[in-house]
Amino acid sequence: MEWLPLLMFVAVCLVLLTGYPVAFALGGTALLFAAGGILTGTFSPSDLTFVPNRLFGIIENSTLMAVPLFVFMGVMLEKSRVAEKLLSSMGQLFGPLPGGMGLAIILVGALLAASTGIVGATVVTMGLLSLPTMLRQGYQPQLSTGLICATGTLGQIIPPSIALVLLGDVLANAYQDAQLKQGLWSLDTVSVGDLFVGALIPGLILVGLYLLYVVAISLLKPQWAPAFEVADGQARSWRSLLGGLLPPLLLIAAVLGSILSGKATPTEAAGVGAFGALLLAAANRHLNLAILGEVVRATSRVTAMVFMILIGASLFSLVFRGFGGEEAVHNLFSAMPGGVLGATVMVMLLIFLLGFILDFIEITFVVVPIVAPVLLGMGLDPIWLGVMIALNLQTSFLTPPFGFALFYLRGVAPPEVKTAHIYQGVIPFIAIQLIMLGILALFPELATWLPHTLYG
Amino acid sequence: MPIFSDLPTIMTKQRLLHGQQWLTAFTTAIGRGSAWLALLLVLGMVLVVVLRYGFDIGNIALQESLTYLHGSLFMLAIAYTLAEDEHVRVDVLYQRFRPRGRAWVNLLGTLFLLLPVCAAIFWLSLDYVASSWREQEGSANGGLPFVYWLKTLLLILPALLTVQAIAELLRHGLTLLGATPPPRVSEHDTHPEEGL
Repeated sequence: MEWLPLLMFVAVCLVLLTGYPVAFALGGTALLFAAGGILTGTFSPSDLTFVPNRLFGIIENSTLMAVPLFVFMGVMLEKSRVAEKLLSSMGQLFGPLPGGMGLAIILVGALLAASTGIVGATVVTMGLLSLPTMLRQGYQPQLSTGLICATGTLGQIIPPSIALVLLGDVLANAYQDAQLKQGLWSLDTVSVGDLFVGALIPGLILVGLYLLYVVAISLLKPQWAPAFEVADGQARSWRSLLGGLLPPLLLIAAVLGSILSGKATPTEAAGVGAFGALLLAAANRHLNLAILGEVVRATSRVTAMVFMILIGASLFSLVFRGFGGEEAVHNLFSAMPGGVLGATVMVMLLIFLLGFILDFIEITFVVVPIVAPVLLGMGLDPIWLGVMIALNLQTSFLTPPFGFALFYLRGVAPPEVKTAHIYQGVIPFIAIQLIMLGILALFPELATWLPHTLYG
Repeated sequence: MPIFSDLPTIMTKQRLLHGQQWLTAFTTAIGRGSAWLALLLVLGMVLVVVLRYGFDIGNIALQESLTYLHGSLFMLAIAYTLAEDEHVRVDVLYQRFRPRGRAWVNLLGTLFLLLPVCAAIFWLSLDYVASSWREQEGSANGGLPFVYWLKTLLLILPALLTVQAIAELLRHGLTLLGATPPPRVSEHDTHPEEGL
């Protein structure tokens, strides 16, 4: 029955393509297979008795408590217009330089990404706020849209990011599994904090590469990225600039700093960040009961969506294991030519392709638990693997025709921007992403050095 | 079968529409109310941090109360999120379907995927929760003595989700019968960007 788990995987992909909500499709398909398996005697019902324990484990998991807290922080910053202020003050600072608005977009995008970690929110905010101005001032549509999409996806990789919280939690379990299987008893652990720290340097290099690209364009093709004409009246006022920049910068510094120092857990840092966003909104006079209500409801819906997928994915993985799926995957990888390298390349390719139809959450909960224990058992570093997966997915979200970031921007771009512009615009950034993946593959220390130095 | 063809008369459709709205209002009210737990969670977390780093006090009961807030927050909001149609979909094809096509996807999905998930979670968890109630199970770490309440969320989730699943069956079934259920009153439309 080696092929049954693989059939189950293919079946769930087909069911997902109908568009029925992912969480229920995962759980429902798994249960249908389990029912069929029980009837034909290929699945033991006792495998399902672990269900309540697993689900209660999700409720009790204190690492995952960071999810609603970070979501709250991101939604609060968005609704209280902190992002808007940030972008306009950055625009004032850099706009008058050739290519300056491009640099401003990248820096704001990186900050927003760090603070919210929500791809859609960043792309939509920047698309609405800056795309019309850039086009009016003569920026090439391809360059403008490519920039906005690419910076929007930075939220996956720049900590603190919700994606890394989820990935870190899954990898922690996978790493334990892998070591137990090898018969090791003194277990190494990997935590969400490790992954945050590990993603920091690659994320910053990536931002640096984006910035370099814009500088290069402004030198080689100045007509694509002209200097903004700023009316004298709205010339830079340092006070408003500082007022827009400083508070979110401080907030992010506080959240990241407390994690980097190794004192606070990501969950605690998320709580402080959420509270800081609340204070910022109050300071900006953008806080009242109506807004607070919208924020808590949006937070609860996003959180519910994430955790229902986790519940559905747990059902899926229990049934998948019951059918012997783990051995099947293991055998598949062992049969791969090229050993660890071959297996890693195949997994990366698979994740890249799945990134077209699945979101970060689904891939993290469904695919990573299946493949990661095998890869980690082959001796890969869990932090490196996590950062590679995050970078890879980020690239996937940027790649036409199915990249998520492209859909979000298409939704808010003015009609004179053609879909073809967006597709052409992201190509250079995809190239940058691939270069970054290559760099990280050649120099894993970029991800592993900082966490090992900080935490030993 | 005369009874069957008489069923979707205007009167019945009206009643069913009414029922659909009633069920949705129920799960929505619970979700909108429990959403405020998010604020309590933020404040509670800050309290934990201040006590721990400011005063070097670690309170297990306080920490565990955050778990209760967090667990209730999402377990009570899952049905409400379904009512607002915000469970993420793979919409590569779905966005190209006509309204009738979407109604079919949702009707069949609710029947063959969602309802089995509800039933399975409920039946598989029943003994687990019941034995926790019999023992009046408390914290293993000397914290809050209400673990049996926390575990009861495993039954409340499928119950609420079933209520909303029935509402969805009515909504999509009526759409296919040519009735027009009222549009979802969703906050989501004003800001389509939430989600990862």
